[in-house]
Amino acid sequence: MAGRGGRALLALCGALAACGWLLGAGAQEPGAPAAGMRRRRRLQQEDGISFEYHRYPELREALVSVWLQCTAISRIYTVGRSFEGRELLVIELSDNPGVHEPGEPEFKYIGNMHGNEAVGRELLIFLAQYLCNEYQKGNETIVKLIHNTRIHIMPSLNPDGFEKAASQPGELKDWFVGRSNAQGIDLNRNFPDLDRIVYANEKEGGPNNHLLKNLKKIVDQNTKLAPETKAVIHWIMDIPFVLSANLHGGDLVANYPYDETRSGSAHEYSSCPDDAIFQSLARAYSSFNPPMSDPNRPPCRKNDDDSSFVDGTTNGAAWYSVPGDMYPEEELLDGMQDFNYLSSNCFEITVELSCEKFPPEETLKSYWEDNKDSLISYLEQIHRGVKGFVRDLQGNPIANATISVEGIDHDITSAKDGDYWRLLVPGNYKLTASAPGYLAITKKVAVPYSPAVGVDFELESFSERKEEEKEELMEWWKMMSETLNF
Amino acid sequence: QKLQLQEPGARLFLSQAWKNGVPLDRHLDSGVGAPQQPTSSFPQTGRQPRYADVFLPISFISPRKDNPLHNRELSAERPLNEQIAEAEADKIKKTYPPENKPSESNYSFVDNLNLLKAITEKEKIEKERQSIGSSPYDNKLNVEDVDSTKNRRLIDDYDSTKSGLDHKFQDDPDGLHQLDGTPLTAEDIVQKIATRIYEENDRGVFDKIVSKLLNLGLITESQAHTLEDEVAEVLQKLISKEANNYEEEPSKPTSRTESQAGKIPEKVTPMAAIQDGFTNGENDETVSNTLTLTNGLERRTKIYNEDNFEELQYFPNFYALLKSIDSEKEAKEKETLITIMKTLIDFVKMMVKYGTISPEEGVSYLENLDETIALQTKNKLEKNVTDNKSKLFPVPSEKSHEETDSTKEEAAKMEKEYGTLKDTTKNDNSNPRGKTDEPKGKTEAYLEAIRKNIEWLKKHDKKGNKEDYDLSKMRDFINQQAEAYVEKGILDKEEADAIKRIYSSL
Repeated sequence: MAGRGGRALLALCGALAACGWLLGAGAQEPGAPAAGMRRRRRLQQEDGISFEYHRYPELREALVSVWLQCTAISRIYTVGRSFEGRELLVIELSDNPGVHEPGEPEFKYIGNMHGNEAVGRELLIFLAQYLCNEYQKGNETIVKLIHNTRIHIMPSLNPDGFEKAASQPGELKDWFVGRSNAQGIDLNRNFPDLDRIVYANEKEGGPNNHLLKNLKKIVDQNTKLAPETKAVIHWIMDIPFVLSANLHGGDLVANYPYDETRSGSAHEYSSCPDDAIFQSLARAYSSFNPPMSDPNRPPCRKNDDDSSFVDGTTNGAAWYSVPGDMYPEEELLDGMQDFNYLSSNCFEITVELSCEKFPPEETLKSYWEDNKDSLISYLEQIHRGVKGFVRDLQGNPIANATISVEGIDHDITSAKDGDYWRLLVPGNYKLTASAPGYLAITKKVAVPYSPAVGVDFELESFSERKEEEKEELMEWWKMMSETLNF
Repeated sequence: QKLQLQEPGARLFLSQAWKNGVPLDRHLDSGVGAPQQPTSSFPQTGRQPRYADVFLPISFISPRKDNPLHNRELSAERPLNEQIAEAEADKIKKTYPPENKPSESNYSFVDNLNLLKAITEKEKIEKERQSIGSSPYDNKLNVEDVDSTKNRRLIDDYDSTKSGLDHKFQDDPDGLHQLDGTPLTAEDIVQKIATRIYEENDRGVFDKIVSKLLNLGLITESQAHTLEDEVAEVLQKLISKEANNYEEEPSKPTSRTESQAGKIPEKVTPMAAIQDGFTNGENDETVSNTLTLTNGLERRTKIYNEDNFEELQYFPNFYALLKSIDSEKEAKEKETLITIMKTLIDFVKMMVKYGTISPEEGVSYLENLDETIALQTKNKLEKNVTDNKSKLFPVPSEKSHEETDSTKEEAAKMEKEYGTLKDTTKNDNSNPRGKTDEPKGKTEAYLEAIRKNIEWLKKHDKKGNKEDYDLSKMRDFINQQAEAYVEKGILDKEEADAIKRIYSSL
């Protein structure tokens, strides 16, 4: 005879009763009467962060609590529903929630894509609460981050899988139960495989970015895509994300593109054009996580091959690659990390947070301690490289302009407000902005480690130039005719 | 092929899952493993509230006499008893006290006790008959044999219970008979149990009795809880009796606030006095018998009269606080406080009665609340010296009155939503995780979060004189957001309402 609702009523009544009483008494703390009850409530709690596993209702409540505490800087939204109907909840933290401020880069964390890899999910819940707390305490780093970034946190992309995994009795969870979504689809093998296309293009010529032009149509018509996958793809297309991390479990490393080898072999370092910045990004995460970056750490399992791990980071394909032709009947579907890089402007790494996919609840607090600095450090990486606006001569933004970097075979595009962000390791670069119907402009930039250097472009359109040339011509003709008297 | 996984339950296909010491299921794994059947344990609509999180301020709850839901539930809990009841219909009607109680919880429990009584009576009759001679009884038996199988089954049942009862009567020190051997009425039983608890000052007495009844299958768990409730009440009365040495007027439905305002100063007695009353205590049986436990309505009224005693029991600190508010000008405030407390206690009792929470939870909840009140009292005393601010709570008495008014308005809503409450608690039973503290935790978490938000906003809102204005803007914003969230499935309707209510009460 569970009395959950009853107890809720009770608790709120009591709390409000005390509220009423305190109102009468003129005291100042409406929430405090709950203190007595809170004593019994959670074993480990710190500043509103409860270090225990959150099932779907608790996840929702945790996010709502953060929102209630930080209404000025937060907003909850959903990108869609899982197969079983659970909302794919996201909490957004920024100084102007719900709004893309021109020039403000967008960041995302996604956790629990494999339902039984639970640590990421929990860390992201803790992170949301932590950011809210620290912001209110006036923590300068956090305040600056929230004012200058739009942070999106999705604790779980696979809530159905998590429920399945979490429902297992006892502490030893099966290695596979709950991994895939409710349809049995492994979500990290469900994204259109763009690596293949890229490798083909590399040989034959062709673009290596923004490869899915008619993306929305393709996605909606594809029956093999899980609803969760579709939701994320739409999300990636709708918001001009710049930097992202995909949280997993089962090992302890920060993994970066590409995940698939070119030759089809099992292990091969397969660098993407932005290998340098990706190494830096991955290291920015791992170096703040003591066990992850510990060179003397034994591998998670005795016979694991972690020879590719360097400073707690690894190229995906160097670690292990699943050649596509092993499963010819499968459509070209692959992981989310590379999909981000090849279909959008977003740079994403995959972070494996724990040797055990679903560790005991008591360990969650220590996972938080190990990761909280990493999570913040990685967030800060978004403010690196070059950023700015691409506009026309009248000052109007040019959306979808191409920004290319000499020497790096990967272009990015400007967002709706003409704003762009190009992550780069320190060095000297030549940046070129171009757009159809406009004359490209190239600029030289010296890039430090951080912060990002601002470089704006004012592009002249062809027609404007034609007009200019025509005017010049007319001028010349006038001059000529005056001189020659005709 | 090596099978290297440490986790138990690894399936055979995993032999392929390992290559060169690296698991195939690394983040970029292929979909190794049989695709699972899509489960749809989660309701597709996703809009049903998972918790019956009815966020309401305290409300006055009238007894749910005609709520079919409750009647249905309670009757569903009495199958065995009903069987016996059917067969014993005549006998029960004779011995059953002649009232048709609308109050369900009492109904079922008293019914049971009467069944018990009826059975014992019948058994007595049988014994008597047996002592006289067996032939009349045999004849009766034969006649019954010829009749429906229902009777036969009754006899079988009867026999089995008889042996149980025998055992019970022989061994049971608590005794379900009065000293003169006449069977006890329901009230008597409750009274007896309560008395016993007094005498031994030990709650364990009750537990013993109840567990016996449960084991025999004579009552269900909910009825046990109800019984506890009733015993607790009688206990209260006994305490009060001893403490005050004058009789209650049980049937007079006096107006609550009036009686309270009048009576409280007189009934202020420290706990010590009550304890003394304890030791003196033999109950006045006639009086207590007329305390018609069987009439829910009257009982409810009774509770209001006794409320101050309830408070005594559960709120020593609150009581002390009340004592300290003696001045005339604060009388109104005092009244409000008392009303709030009483309503709260009523609420707890109602919850216990309907089995939504267990009595232990109700008691510990109230105890906790009292502790918190103690804390707050202390803080208040400390703060009063230094505290001048009254920005957020400008007019205390008005506000608290507003609150009580709004709580009364919520009564009807509460009734309607209670149905949902019941349903969803049943749904929640299937949740294997079953964290008992969860809804409490959520509510206080939300409150705490809101509190922090308001604090922070106050601190960062430099425009000092605009504070009230900003609060109303905040309120509107929150209302709007909450509504939007409900539409998107981010918040439950009840949660949103509660949040809106909290903000509007500021």
